[in-house]
Amino acid sequence: MINAIILKGTGIITEMDVLIAVMGYIIVFLALLLLYFVFSSIPRILSWRKNYLMKKQGKECKDECNGIPGDVLAAISIALYLHANEYHDEESHSITIKKVSRNYSPWSSKIYGLSEISSIKSN
Amino acid sequence: MGKKLIIILIAISSIVVADIVCNNYGFFSQTFGQTQTLSQDEPIDETGIVIKGLETFYKYTGFRNLSIGNIVMILVGLFFIYLAIRYDYEPLLLVPIGTGILLGNIPFLQNANLQVGIYEQGSVLNYLYFGVVKGVYPPLIFLGIGAMTDFSSLISNPKLILLGAAAQLGIFATFLGALLLGFNPPEAGAIGIIGGADGPTAIFLSSKLANGVNILADGTTVKNLIGPIAIAAYSYMALVPVIQPPIMRLLTTKKERLIRMKPPRAVSKREKIFFPILGLLLTTFISPSALPLLGMLFFGNLLKESGVTKRLADTARTSLIDIVTILLGLTVGASTQADVFLRTESVMIFVLGALSFMIATAGGVLFAKFMNVFLNDDNKINPLIGAAGVSAVPDSARVAQTMGLKDDPTNHLLMHAMAPNVAGVIGSAVAAGILLSFLI
Repeated sequence: MINAIILKGTGIITEMDVLIAVMGYIIVFLALLLLYFVFSSIPRILSWRKNYLMKKQGKECKDECNGIPGDVLAAISIALYLHANEYHDEESHSITIKKVSRNYSPWSSKIYGLSEISSIKSN
Repeated sequence: MGKKLIIILIAISSIVVADIVCNNYGFFSQTFGQTQTLSQDEPIDETGIVIKGLETFYKYTGFRNLSIGNIVMILVGLFFIYLAIRYDYEPLLLVPIGTGILLGNIPFLQNANLQVGIYEQGSVLNYLYFGVVKGVYPPLIFLGIGAMTDFSSLISNPKLILLGAAAQLGIFATFLGALLLGFNPPEAGAIGIIGGADGPTAIFLSSKLANGVNILADGTTVKNLIGPIAIAAYSYMALVPVIQPPIMRLLTTKKERLIRMKPPRAVSKREKIFFPILGLLLTTFISPSALPLLGMLFFGNLLKESGVTKRLADTARTSLIDIVTILLGLTVGASTQADVFLRTESVMIFVLGALSFMIATAGGVLFAKFMNVFLNDDNKINPLIGAAGVSAVPDSARVAQTMGLKDDPTNHLLMHAMAPNVAGVIGSAVAAGILLSFLI
């Protein structure tokens, strides 16, 4: 039916065109409004389910049922990150000087090099 | 050395200019025709054969077939590459598109069965262009986008989804504008989608509605507008940091720009998994025509969030999307062959595209202000993030962040702006599906 109305562009907007534009915009809005309602209710549904399971087990539901607050999660995450990356805390605290013997080779000769190569390596 | 170079360049440019003039006024073909007639009557000596060979060679070169349109388009291509390299404007898109424009506008002898042009059956570029014409590339790009997008900000504050819907105003306003300028409804729909600020969606819809193949009820064939629409969409997406700020400043007060939003709540893994599944089912049931786009977008996101398909998600968001971006950018660029691209319609499309972006930005900002009327002081929305409702991920969100920081260097809006930004991707895909079902 709509195809029959669509004719070669005349530079005139018909009622049908306005209807398509308005209806289109409304449908986009409705689609995203539906997503809004669904995703607004999902946290409630999830916490309700958790409440129900806790009550079934005879336990009282406290704050954790409604999820851990973002600030607390951020603090835990930072603590874990620092713990995982703080290698200094796991050092042996023994600093040794290790003598490295190096066989002579013209390729590694400091005479031919631009900078001196230290033969003592600190660990 | 320098002088020699200048002389050579002047010589070449004079040949080119002379040749263009001759081509345009038909002088050259006349002269060439006479040479051929003479060569038939007189015995051909060795020098004659060499000259004839050189003439034939010259006939096939780009210099012989050059037109002013090619020069204009080559300059446009170079400008795109310049913008990408010098100003870092969407380099991943503008470098392939710019190079594509150069490829598409290298002049060659038409109708000589060379099979090099993008519109010539059997050419390599034509095979690659198939992915654009049949709308193969856009869903694959959406798969990658889904696999790299974190919808947490949207899930944590779902009311911001509505900003992504409001900003689609540009699509439908431009649709009416295009009709006023004399485009057919399907062409107008394809042009309108530029306001969605989403390149793949624009290409997908134009490949279905304005592909130069579809025949209307009155027997006329729609124009092939894929090239101009794609170039307009990507150009304006790159220019989002230039187009949006004046409109955002115009429509907001300083007090509104200083609004601080509550930090988004933490989103559980379960919610993140539910999102693509429910999003896929709800949006595609409403707009099945957008199935290839929305289906792939949510599928990509499910790969990411499920946590069990890391390899697939990694491929989708890295190698796959890179390969498709290269092919898409290059072929869209090459489709701007001067004789197809340099038309009055293209200029109109560019004007409408700019208006479309402006209306979309205004739609998002104004709707954020409208929502603030109903929200209490703690939950007010900074209207700057409304502008991020036009897709252009993540550029328009970055614009909101930059604008917010200008008035308050400690007010970071990026996380909040990402919500309407990704909602805009969904909204523009739904809008594309709706237009497709109304107009095809």
